[in-house]
Amino acid sequence: MKVGFIGLGLMGRPMALHLEKAGHELHLWARRPESLAPFAKVNAKIHATPADVAAHAEVVVVMVADAPDVENVCLGENGLASGGKAGLIVVDMSTINPNAARTIGQRLAAKGIEFVDAPVSGGETGAINAALTVMVGGTPAAFEKVRPLLEKMGKSVTLIGDSGAGQVAKACNQILTGVGVLAVAEAFNFAAKSGVDAGKVREALLGGFAYSKILENHGQRMLDRNFKPGFKAWMHQKDLRIVMEEAHRMGLMLPSAAATAQVFNAIVGSGMGENDSISALMLLEKMSTAQE
Amino acid sequence: MNIGFIGFGTMGRPMAEHLLKAGHGLRVWSRRNASADFAVALGAQRCDSVRDVAGGSEIVCTNVTGSADVEGLAAQLAEGLAPGAIHVDFSTIAPSAARRVAALHAARGVDFVDAPVSGGGVGARGATLAIMWGGKAALAPRLAPIFSLLGKTVVHVGDSGAGQVAKACNQMVMVAAIAACAEAARLAAAAGVDFTLVRQAMLGGSAGSRVLDVFGGRMASRDFAAGVEARLHHKDYALLMDEATRIGAPLPVSASVWQQLNALMARGWGAQDTSSLLRVLETARPDRAR
Repeated sequence: MKVGFIGLGLMGRPMALHLEKAGHELHLWARRPESLAPFAKVNAKIHATPADVAAHAEVVVVMVADAPDVENVCLGENGLASGGKAGLIVVDMSTINPNAARTIGQRLAAKGIEFVDAPVSGGETGAINAALTVMVGGTPAAFEKVRPLLEKMGKSVTLIGDSGAGQVAKACNQILTGVGVLAVAEAFNFAAKSGVDAGKVREALLGGFAYSKILENHGQRMLDRNFKPGFKAWMHQKDLRIVMEEAHRMGLMLPSAAATAQVFNAIVGSGMGENDSISALMLLEKMSTAQE
Repeated sequence: MNIGFIGFGTMGRPMAEHLLKAGHGLRVWSRRNASADFAVALGAQRCDSVRDVAGGSEIVCTNVTGSADVEGLAAQLAEGLAPGAIHVDFSTIAPSAARRVAALHAARGVDFVDAPVSGGGVGARGATLAIMWGGKAALAPRLAPIFSLLGKTVVHVGDSGAGQVAKACNQMVMVAAIAACAEAARLAAAAGVDFTLVRQAMLGGSAGSRVLDVFGGRMASRDFAAGVEARLHHKDYALLMDEATRIGAPLPVSASVWQQLNALMARGWGAQDTSSLLRVLETARPDRAR
């Protein structure tokens, strides 16, 4: 299949390469030309604008930072909408506000272009190993058309519901992972400040009802004091901002997510935004230690 | 002085009246003609468009709801304002939006002043508002004759956007205090103690405050209809929490208060007073609610 791909960052690059390896013809555009270097020796055609990519592809995958970027790539000057033929499917795998996804979907639909939101969970490791969890919102027909592509990038691919439903699922995922990482960090800091070995606590808890992947994986990285990303703290801050915006719009009380979002504000404000989100532990340690 | 005025809600209408009664010539426009009839009756000149308001005015005042409203008006005013004119916005909007409007006007030699107010409808009618403004300090002498007719406390906080930052701080402190009053009222009632008397005792001590007096009073008398519409405080929280995220400043208490406001909206009390935060707490134990 002729597949367009826009957004060749940490996540997008390995994802696009999986598609190429599976025999698909890539059509690429990048804001920064250096992002295209890894594609010099593979079956990929480089274009001058997103519109050109859209004109040459049956499906275009988008993997960028936030809603304004998605909107710009899709509907901006020389965007996908200005080059895409009716019947084109745009698969947005970025994490953006569900309501923004629905709006972009409606505006593309007016031009005969189908929009599917398909945000992912699993981080850079998941992207490299083609082991992402993909949460999809869109029509069943469009889902069936793009499913073979998504399965080359992800291990678990689920149609959640209509347009925006994938982003809702991702928002739920970020509530659980954000609050979860903070809970593990709080427990470890509590143990350490009580003079107890957090590693032993983790080991014991893994066998009980407090077991979680976050306790297992993120917890281990906290014990190893390996704060390299993984998943950057500023991205978790951004995702929780989306969650809280939606809660505000709908009038939903999310007390734990709200408190967690403030901890992520503090992490980013303290200059640790480029670290992994397990840096929550460092923040708690700092805030529970007397000033020198 | 020739002053333009747009926005005649609970706050804007009495403010415009003060200016007219002090003898200023007012140029007015409103989306619905009827909203400005009171001003025309007091001698104001009705204009056909926002741009028309700008044309003959040295200073234009706006008092509307959201960032988008102010930015929309500013774009139209910019077409009519002469270099040297001042746009004074009394609305509560995002500091970043205020800075954008200031930049838009600056390109045409027009000054922008963000001047949000605190004091509610009572303060507007009594001309006792607290006015916190951001913009060039040198504008103070030109603004003083207007501000002195509207408010009692006028503070120049800093450059463009600084007034809105001050207003965000004001809302944080005030609504958190309302939430604390609601929790005290809930605790007292749940413990079988009369909050009216608890409030009376507290007013004389270190916890005494204007919020405890006014909003605590509404809770004690269960008068949730009057006062400030809670949806406006809810709106302000979206602005200030967004600003906190942008800067990377943790606001744990405000975040928690925000969620109580979200619940208040969901319960359908957005058009009622923010003292309804008490009823949000009572939702969890309706059996004990009085």
